[in-house]
Amino acid sequence: MTTHGGFEPVFCTIVPPHVLDRLAQAEDPALARPARRTLQRDAFERTQRRLTTVIGATAAAAVADGRPQRTVHDARHGTDLPGHKVRGEGDKPGKDATVNRAYAGLGATFELFLQAYRRDSIDGNGLPLNATVHYDRDYNNAFWNGEQMVFGDGDGEIFLDFTIPIDVIGHELAHGVTQYTANLTYFGQPGALNESLSDVFGALIKQYTLGQTAAEADWLIGAGLLAPRVTGTALRSMKEPGTAYDDDVLGKDPQPATMDDFVRTGRDNGGVHINSGIPNHAFHLAATALGGHAWERAGQVWYDVLTGGELRQDAMFTDFATLTVKAARERFGDGEELDAVSKGWEQVGVRTL
Amino acid sequence: MRIQVRRTGGFAGIERHAEVDTSGRSDASEWHALAEQAVAAGRSTPPVGVPDGFSYQLTVDGRTVYCADPRLTDEQRKLISRVLKEGA
Repeated sequence: MTTHGGFEPVFCTIVPPHVLDRLAQAEDPALARPARRTLQRDAFERTQRRLTTVIGATAAAAVADGRPQRTVHDARHGTDLPGHKVRGEGDKPGKDATVNRAYAGLGATFELFLQAYRRDSIDGNGLPLNATVHYDRDYNNAFWNGEQMVFGDGDGEIFLDFTIPIDVIGHELAHGVTQYTANLTYFGQPGALNESLSDVFGALIKQYTLGQTAAEADWLIGAGLLAPRVTGTALRSMKEPGTAYDDDVLGKDPQPATMDDFVRTGRDNGGVHINSGIPNHAFHLAATALGGHAWERAGQVWYDVLTGGELRQDAMFTDFATLTVKAARERFGDGEELDAVSKGWEQVGVRTL
Repeated sequence: MRIQVRRTGGFAGIERHAEVDTSGRSDASEWHALAEQAVAAGRSTPPVGVPDGFSYQLTVDGRTVYCADPRLTDEQRKLISRVLKEGA
């Protein structure tokens, strides 16, 4: 590893990380801030190591011709990645609907980034898109492992197949885009921004595929993923965070919509899937205020910030919000876009500087 | 032996917790062997996982270790899935 010029470790190697975890949750900002910085730095360095590996491994395979290069693998209920190749680019659909959905979802995601933002794949340079389906048994999750997407089948009791909602596929690939661009640390507020960006682009991929306007869209993440016995419509709602489900087994959707209800927790990497409700809602407010296709203006502003080079890895909500206001002005001038973006953040209680 | 598993994170961000008390169980020795191997391969602090990956906290008789998807040992994976399935 090379050195990180200028960075001074706060508690590194002296205070054990579990103590940092406790401190990071402390009420006193003097205690919490340095601990959080250290934890974030730790997270950042792990991500960097992974990123370096990924870039090194894929640079040779890049084909920048504006066409996707998709491969879907089948883990056959095991956990070895990537598993057995079952469908390559241009191959005809097979009998496995899960494989076909993953293939189509990869294509839809590629299309949105190319057509709307002129981005050639997740790295901007034709990176091959790989997905593995049927991971493990009854596996209630989907994730991005730094190199590819991985989808479980769900247990059928709470969750169904994770390839069902196209926004889930888009969400995972968007983690790849974030990794190759702003590379937001997956912890605390930068982690919640990382999560929110995946929800935003996941939702936009669904809307783009369905040709929906902001007013027509459901703004749900994971609609169709919950098993019939679960009381809920989806996993998250960008329109009304905190209302996606309320169930005996799952509990209630914990997402806040505004800063007044920001959740401080050490779990879930510092609440990355919880507090993402706040920037999610700000995007929804801006997009619906503007109307029309959300990927064209609100989405463009968010994309400009994600890829513009000014968004720091440890950005807080205020930093991100401020950059969206700047990006809206740079791209669209002093018009309704600037107004919609500013008001969106104001309504969720995030300051812009 | 008291074996507790707490799972956090994941795409849904929904937490799950379950525990198994092996006292009086006919398969106690099997649980003990599995739990000891799983804990031995654990970390003393939570690793920062991959985006949307599950994070796990394993506590065996008061000692807590951490691990995260997709980098689990076979024993950790087996223990976690058994406790979450059979535990209360």
